[in-house]
Amino acid sequence: MSDTYKTTGASRVEIEAIAPEGLLPRADALRVAGWRLIQVLAISMPEGVELSYSFGLELEMRVLRFMARPGSAVPSLTPVYAAAFLYENEIRDLFNVAIERISVDWLGKTYDVAEAGRFDTMRLSMTSSEEGAR
Amino acid sequence: MSEAAKKEHGPTLVPFGPQHPVLPEPLHFDLLLEDEKIVGAVPQLGYIHRGLELLCDKRDLADYVHVAERICGICSFMHGMGYCEAVERLYGVAIPDRARWLRTFWCELERIQSHLLWLGLAADAFGFENLFMATWRARELVVDVAEETAGGRVIFGSAIVGGVGRDPDDETLRRCLEAMRPARDETLRLAEVMLRDATVLHRLHKVGPLSRDAAYLLGAVGPMLRASGHDYDVRRAGYAAYGEFDWSTVIEEGGDCLARALVRFREIEESFKILERVVAAMPAGPTTVPVKGPPPKGEAWMRVEQPRGEVLYFVRSNGTRQLERFRVRTPTFANVPAMVEVLKGASLADLPTIVLTIDPCISCTER
Repeated sequence: MSDTYKTTGASRVEIEAIAPEGLLPRADALRVAGWRLIQVLAISMPEGVELSYSFGLELEMRVLRFMARPGSAVPSLTPVYAAAFLYENEIRDLFNVAIERISVDWLGKTYDVAEAGRFDTMRLSMTSSEEGAR
Repeated sequence: MSEAAKKEHGPTLVPFGPQHPVLPEPLHFDLLLEDEKIVGAVPQLGYIHRGLELLCDKRDLADYVHVAERICGICSFMHGMGYCEAVERLYGVAIPDRARWLRTFWCELERIQSHLLWLGLAADAFGFENLFMATWRARELVVDVAEETAGGRVIFGSAIVGGVGRDPDDETLRRCLEAMRPARDETLRLAEVMLRDATVLHRLHKVGPLSRDAAYLLGAVGPMLRASGHDYDVRRAGYAAYGEFDWSTVIEEGGDCLARALVRFREIEESFKILERVVAAMPAGPTTVPVKGPPPKGEAWMRVEQPRGEVLYFVRSNGTRQLERFRVRTPTFANVPAMVEVLKGASLADLPTIVLTIDPCISCTER
């Protein structure tokens, strides 16, 4: 790589680790400050599903992040950001995360998947290897 | 329906889509109607979901560009480029100047053909078939240039991790600009025709309004957001070569279908101007930089302004050539809540027009 080449399009991303119960108060504070929801991202991890809520103000982005442990419920963001219902229905269907009280709830019918939590690959591979060991 | 019957039965549920004559792609709504008025709309996704994001951990990250480009057949290059830029950030690699400017050229080419495609579809929905054919005739010239410079008419195939895979010479680029001049002139003429036609204005003006506040809070993006008065365009972040020349963000205040149409018309004109500046200032030099070995562990974000609005790409590496996670948040996905808001209170007859002025891309949404 040459030093003369420029890295472009750098817009700042700030990531903040929070506890699941801190989601609504933090999101509410961001909404009041003018931030809007950009997306919710789920990533399958060995210890659960990592959720990242991205908010934007002009060209800056801030991310609230926590781990949704198996068996624990996550509050819905829809009381603060109504548009979150799309992301939350998707994450529940594809990653099997229990999200409580989504304002527009498709009751697990967003995607007609043969296997619930199909995108929770880490968990699925662990389950199948455990079954294989048995 | 009588008032008594309305009270007894409540609103009527009418499914709209996923197959509908006016929709080029399978979009589905459950509409709640009171007579002809829409009082509620519940969107339904997932009809053709492909699970492309899940493929990232099964493909080499350089090969995955081919998958990313196939997220959408209308803005394929920008998907490929957005993915590449995210991966390049992961590596900490900066690509050569000429590659950045060529990426900008193809982005704007794609924006023009996408907006012309939308215009044709919208004209067809109004029953204005001559306009539909004239628009797509103009678009053909733009797609021809894509084929000559990038190698593909739909899937450009020219974005690669570390630069671009094609290097059209400067003479070819100048000739292509000339070849597109009739398309530019024709678009201006068609804009005059379309936006002065009384029937078209009747279908667009004050139909499907989205307020400035609602557009912002519901997370609308692209022309949908800018037609409601917001000066927001991710190209201002300066990715590719957008930070190196002057260009204007197109904004309208009306928030209705007409404003959304106007934004796209004016963006076509602005994109042609950008193409001229890009070709005039195209730097010489290499178009790729080697990107070898596995990337470091970590994650990277990238935002790109596509024809339909902002797209967000996320990549996370576990230190191998297969990414742990690739995520793309597409503009139509972000525009669905605003679309639902706009439909409330609209007439059923206006629904196709409203949906088309949002320019939904279900292929992107069902990535």
